Amino acid sequence: MKHLLQSEIRKLIYLRSNWLLLLWSGVFAALGTVAPIVVLNSERQNMGMGFSGTNTPEGINAVFANAAGGYLFALIMGILIMTNEYRHGTAVGTFLVTPKRSTVLYAKLISASIAGFVVQLFSYLMAVLSGFVALNFYEPHAPVPMELLWKVFRASALSGLVLGVVGVGLGALVKNQVAAVTGAVIWTLIVEGLIVAFVESIGKYLPAGAITGLVDVDFGENDFNFTIDNYLTPGPAILVLLAYAAVFSVLAMRTTLRRDLD
Amino acid sequence: MTSTTIEFRNLSKQYKDVLAVSNFSAQVQSGRVTGFLGPNGAGKSTALRCLLGLVNPTVGEALIKGGPYSALSNPIKEVGAVLDSRGFHPGLTALQNLKVMASASGIDFSRIQEVLKVVDLEGATNKRTKGFSLGMKQRLSLAIAMLGDPEILILDEPANGLDPIGIVWLREFVRKLASEGRTILVSSHQLAEMQNTVDDVLIINKGILVAQGSIDEIRQGKSLEEAFLELTLGRSA
Repeated sequence: MKHLLQSEIRKLIYLRSNWLLLLWSGVFAALGTVAPIVVLNSERQNMGMGFSGTNTPEGINAVFANAAGGYLFALIMGILIMTNEYRHGTAVGTFLVTPKRSTVLYAKLISASIAGFVVQLFSYLMAVLSGFVALNFYEPHAPVPMELLWKVFRASALSGLVLGVVGVGLGALVKNQVAAVTGAVIWTLIVEGLIVAFVESIGKYLPAGAITGLVDVDFGENDFNFTIDNYLTPGPAILVLLAYAAVFSVLAMRTTLRRDLD
Repeated sequence: MTSTTIEFRNLSKQYKDVLAVSNFSAQVQSGRVTGFLGPNGAGKSTALRCLLGLVNPTVGEALIKGGPYSALSNPIKEVGAVLDSRGFHPGLTALQNLKVMASASGIDFSRIQEVLKVVDLEGATNKRTKGFSLGMKQRLSLAIAMLGDPEILILDEPANGLDPIGIVWLREFVRKLASEGRTILVSSHQLAEMQNTVDDVLIINKGILVAQGSIDEIRQGKSLEEAFLELTLGRSA
């Protein structure tokens, strides 16, 4: 297992596309904090929409809660770790070296979890740093509490660990890389977002809803029409995320153990 | 004195409504080069993939050293396989691909330069494999197969797509490996090449074994191509 894990980490490090994905996760996450800072202050000053600006704690919460938003890239990383094997035919070599497929899967799940964590750590840091830089252009702003940054970091780290694993399961299930990544993007950015926003009773149990619950930050119902009370508290939210990891690990195991490699 | 190293026992593989391999039984003796011949779609690749644990047989079994491939204690050090010209990531260099495979099986990286030298790829060590010609890809596949210095080699159509220079190189390469006493099972369409390379022959057609024996027994004074056509198409020369 130790050798196999080293091999999986090498694959992650050697592939340029993985570094590019990491870079994009940082850009995406940075936009997630910078864009609302610009919008909130513009709306407040010019359009009179009634949103709290970054001079209020609610406005700051709304901005920095987005720093956990790069989890889509952790999911894609997990998908790539699995589907690259089928796309480039390397699964044959991998399973010839280690015929016990369950061992290969364990190594992949662990490496995807590590990769997901790294993606989310990087995107979190990029989002927070960019947010602080952008806030300097809109003085005075409300203070950014450490508790807020800690809560968002906790959600980032856990979602990265879990969604890397989910990605491996999804990749094992779908196999076709383009279909798996496209499906994940459409689901995460459109379908899940709509369900979480408009059908909270279901949405809170979806990964994005669970991550929102894990962030555990309120924006103020009057200002943003959003209350964290509609989501799971952090404890159950963690359990829901772990359940997703478990279900997709089992799916990955069942499909990969049985599949013929033609 | 030879012994059976590879054995197919009543192997069958059914894909939906296609019977790729049907009740196939054959043996490969140790220290000999065995040619595995058959028309396209005869079931050669399926049988080899069953042997390597990549495809699950519907019925029967394929054994290496008396057990399934998955039971080998360190497979890459006992069996080297070339199944097609893929099997490595195009975005990685030859060296990186070999490091990935070597580290997965705990093989010392010093072995990498040795195998690159054996397959004449030393000049392309740091080149990304997506820029490799088909011949270079085949050589890299052979390098990966040789990483563990295995005593058994399974080569599925290793000459496919090679130019004449590549085919000559491959012939000499297989002969060199054979002279070292390794057991080699090689499938190929290059009958003239096989005639000069193999000791034994297995011929499969439509998933069924149609002949097995030494090259002289199979040829019976004819060319291998003539014997092959007679056995697979029932055509007399």
